[in-house]
Amino acid sequence: MMRSFYLEEQTWLHGLPAWIKLLVLSATGTILFAGNGHVLATVATAVAVAVATLGAATWRTLRSLRGLALVLGLILLFHGITDSWVIGLDAAARLGCLAVLGMLLTLSTPFGELLAVVEAALRPLRVFGLPTERAALAFGLMLRFIEIFFLRWQQLDEACRARSGRRGGFRLLAPLAIQVLATAERVGDALSARLGR
Amino acid sequence: MRPTSSHSIALIALFAALIAVLGVVPRLDLPLGVPITAQSLGVMLAGCLLGPRRAFLVLVLFLTGVALGLPLLSGGRGGIGVFAAPSVGFLLGFPLGAAATGAVMRALPGPIWLRAFVASALGGIGVVYLCGIAGLAVVAQMTLGHAALGVLIFIPGDLVKCVLSALVVRTVARGLPQWERHLG
Repeated sequence: MMRSFYLEEQTWLHGLPAWIKLLVLSATGTILFAGNGHVLATVATAVAVAVATLGAATWRTLRSLRGLALVLGLILLFHGITDSWVIGLDAAARLGCLAVLGMLLTLSTPFGELLAVVEAALRPLRVFGLPTERAALAFGLMLRFIEIFFLRWQQLDEACRARSGRRGGFRLLAPLAIQVLATAERVGDALSARLGR
Repeated sequence: MRPTSSHSIALIALFAALIAVLGVVPRLDLPLGVPITAQSLGVMLAGCLLGPRRAFLVLVLFLTGVALGLPLLSGGRGGIGVFAAPSVGFLLGFPLGAAATGAVMRALPGPIWLRAFVASALGGIGVVYLCGIAGLAVVAQMTLGHAALGVLIFIPGDLVKCVLSALVVRTVARGLPQWERHLG
C-alpha cells in the first residue's frame, strides 16, 4: 500500500535530474502567481504540450487529479456567479497548471531521488543546528511504521467484528493510539540503547 | 526526557505514521452513519498527546512525506501538487494547529477530557481554519468572508472530531497512566 504515484513506465521526463525538475517547478510556481494573464497562457500551453508528449500511461496517472478538477470547477462557478468568469478562469487555470506540474514531478521522479535532493538542499542548514540525520531517521521510521500500524488497525477491526459483528470504526482509535504510544516507547528505548542519547 | 532524544524521534515518527494510517483507513462511521475522515483528528490527537513542539514536528514530517510524493493524505492524495490545491491553507495549518492544541492542552487546568476538547477546538478547528480560510482566499482569489462561508459546512463535522479527540485522550490517559507526564 506504500506505493507512491511514481510511474515505472519511462518517459522523457524520467531522464531529467530531480533537482532540475524541482527547480523548474518552484520557478514556474513563482511566476504563475506573480505574472499576468500572458504568462499564465504561456505556462498553460507549455504544460499542455508537455502532458501531450508524455504518453498514455501519464494521462492515466493524471486521472487522480479528478477531485481537484471538481474543486477548480466550483471556484470557476463561484467567481462566474459573484463577479466575473475571467477571474474564475484565471484562478482555476493557475491552480490547475501547478497541480499538473507537481504531479508530473511526482510521477517521473523516484522517491529516493527526491529525498536525496531534499537532504542535499538541507545540508547547509546543519550549520544552524538543524539535525538532518535525525530528520532522515525519523522519516525512515515513519515509512516503516505506516505499514505496521495499518496492519494493526486491520487486526483490531477483525477482532472487533469477531466480537460484535460490526465494524470497529472510531472505537478502534483509542486502542490504536495506545499501541502507537507504547510502540514508540519501545522503539525509543531501542534507539537510545544504540545511539546512546 | 530531552526534547531531541531518541524517544522523541520515535514518538514523532510513529505518530506521523499513525496520521498517515488515519488517511488510509477507509472511513470512520459515527453512530448515526455519518462518515468522517480521521486525518484532522490526528492533528488534534498529536497536539493533545505529544505537546506543542513534538506535535508540530509530527505534522512537518508528515507533510514532507506528502510533498515528496507519498499518497498519505486521505483519499490517497499526495505529491507536491496538493500544495497548489485550494485546501493548501488547511494543510499548512496542520502543524500550527497541532502546536496550538498542544500549548492549550498544557496550559489548561481541569479534567483531562475537557482540556482535550477545548484544546482540540481551539487548535484543531480555530487555528487550522484560520490558516485554511486565508489560504483559500489567496489561492482562489476570494475575499476572506467568502472563503470563510465556503468552509463553514465542515465545522459541525470537526466539532464531532473534538469530542472524539477528548474521548480518545481520556481513554489513553486511563490505559497508559504513565502517559500523564507527557500530557502535563
